[in-house]
Amino acid sequence: MQFVLLLFPSLLSALVAYLVRPYRVAVGWANACLSLVPLGAALAIAGSILSGNEALVFGPNDLLRADALSALLMTCVAAVATLALFFSPGLGGETLYDSAQLRRYHIFVNLFIFAMLLAVAANNVGIMWIAVEATTIFSAMIIPLALTKASVEASWKYILISSVGITLAFVGTVLAYFDFVALSGRAENALNWPVLLAAAPGLHPEVVRIAFVFILIGFGTKAGIAPMHTWLPDAHSEAPSSLSAMMSGVLLAVALYAITRWKVVVDAALGPAFSNQMLLLLGVFSVLVAAFSLVIQRNYKRMLAYSSIEHTGLICIGLGLGPLGVFAAFLHLACHTAAKSMLFILSGEVLHRYHSPDMERVSGLLKVMPWTGGLFMLGILAVVGLPPFGLFISEFALIRAGFADGRPVLMAAVLALIAVGFVALLRHSNRMLYGTPPREVIMGDIRGWRIAPLLVSMSVLLVLGLTLPAPLESLLHQVVKVVAK
Amino acid sequence: MNGTLFSQLATLGSSVVLLFGIVLLCRRSLHAYIEAFRWQSLVLAALIVAVGHFGRVPELYVVAVVFFALKGVFIPRYLERLAKRVGAERESQPYVNITSSLVIAALLVLLAYAVMRPVVLASQLPTRGGLPLAVGLIFIGLFILISRRKALTQIVGFLVLENGIALLAVLGSFGIPLIVELGVFLDLMMGFLVMQVFVYHIHGTFESIDVEQLNQLRH
Repeated sequence: MQFVLLLFPSLLSALVAYLVRPYRVAVGWANACLSLVPLGAALAIAGSILSGNEALVFGPNDLLRADALSALLMTCVAAVATLALFFSPGLGGETLYDSAQLRRYHIFVNLFIFAMLLAVAANNVGIMWIAVEATTIFSAMIIPLALTKASVEASWKYILISSVGITLAFVGTVLAYFDFVALSGRAENALNWPVLLAAAPGLHPEVVRIAFVFILIGFGTKAGIAPMHTWLPDAHSEAPSSLSAMMSGVLLAVALYAITRWKVVVDAALGPAFSNQMLLLLGVFSVLVAAFSLVIQRNYKRMLAYSSIEHTGLICIGLGLGPLGVFAAFLHLACHTAAKSMLFILSGEVLHRYHSPDMERVSGLLKVMPWTGGLFMLGILAVVGLPPFGLFISEFALIRAGFADGRPVLMAAVLALIAVGFVALLRHSNRMLYGTPPREVIMGDIRGWRIAPLLVSMSVLLVLGLTLPAPLESLLHQVVKVVAK
Repeated sequence: MNGTLFSQLATLGSSVVLLFGIVLLCRRSLHAYIEAFRWQSLVLAALIVAVGHFGRVPELYVVAVVFFALKGVFIPRYLERLAKRVGAERESQPYVNITSSLVIAALLVLLAYAVMRPVVLASQLPTRGGLPLAVGLIFIGLFILISRRKALTQIVGFLVLENGIALLAVLGSFGIPLIVELGVFLDLMMGFLVMQVFVYHIHGTFESIDVEQLNQLRH
């Protein structure tokens, strides 16, 4: 039942948006309110897992399945989807888009949300792959809402690079599957994750190794791991801000989820050393590329996008550091989701006010938009990893896990790179926040109910920085049990 | 006897499929690209039927029919129409010229043999001879994608890559579970439709489908 409530509302929303023509404001509101249902369902699933169920399954051949790992991701996806839908274009007020564009947006954004939820709820890793591929298709449709050269270019790169990447992940899936078939014959449920995991110790190590390389490159493209990240800053900066919030906040997390699922299977076949090394290597490289790219940014949405690459890299490093690292990685993932989705929403407000994505043109933000500017400042302080916000705790835990795993040199390097990103982000955002506002900019801010959801995001970050709530802690411990035995 | 016939047929079929991938590389006109892709898909559909027959997997007949309809008929026809609408531009100056392309293709096939060696050694399948050819085709699809500069030829490159994976799946495991296979077809069709929408967008905003012009976004 929870699964139906999790997946069905987004499909219904897409259908409503499709049927109502021309677009009406009520559709946007209905969709936003409807998105609270999956959030409730995700929380219910998480609650049920906390109360002692190891995993919930649903459907013929156990089509859908949720364990602690899926429950965590479902909650993140559903929460960010709600936030983004309440800040979507077309909920009243002035908008840059015409009604055909708004209709298209509302159809595809809900399909996009559906695909992400399906990806984390699917039991069959083949279905998971299909859902991740579908996220690319649906989101690419709405990146160029207003057709400009830059947005068309960004989405063409996005769809081409991501589709190719994800196709390579399919090669990996197929390789693993046919090794499974060679071992135990054809079976309709062979790609179900628990079945695959149970068979893993008997798979041929050489085949599994090749399969994992394909899978890591493939889903890694989607997760924005360097050097496959090239589409990410373009797509994230050109998309409507509510979509960027979802892409950066949870789409990357969904791709990392897919990698994690496969890592567990591969570890059961090979032992953890191989996958850990690969993840550490790519993770450090991503942090490196992102840190130095942050220094030269001139566009604030691209700056946030590179910061996402940095955090993806950190999560990969965490995944490669054993149980302690896995704990830190998923705490980091949850905090990053809260922080980055809020920042992208805010950047949309800034863009709307200043009519320019260029940092040079944005100054005096705190004077022009006190709420937006203030929250933007706090959000930046959170993503650079300062206390008292959640990311400080998770980064600290991550570094500690590295030392516990016996990698002091690597951790020192990571710390140095984090410091580079820290300085770059603070310098850029200082220039935006202070100074005298340009003359043509009109004072004005987000008002009324729109502040409330952002305050919720902020308080989540703050709470996670001050204490680790008991339900989340035990959920994370269960995640660790799933991922690193 | 049947076993050897099967394995010979599988290797022959995959070689022909790979050959059409290489033929693509030495063509310039969009029409020739689409034609080569159509033939490749038809041979591949026949190969799926053969594997279904010899491997005794009747599900594969369904897959072959869908495959034939989608990649042998629907997509090539759509591509032709698309080419006509945006004015079929020739791939006159690919990033890599034809002679070098062919040499690189040969190297890629060798690389595929090297990569797949452990898999072939571990496998007992009668179709294992074709596995490196399938991976070779995947590499060639990737190469078409990065070395050609028209949006339409890039789509064909992507479709060739997809064919490579279909070949790998059918040779390696006699097909993946049907539900996954159907989902993959659905994704492929949606992905193709979205890509062709983007060809119109690129054509509309840049007045050409040369992706060389897509260079606004840096760093």
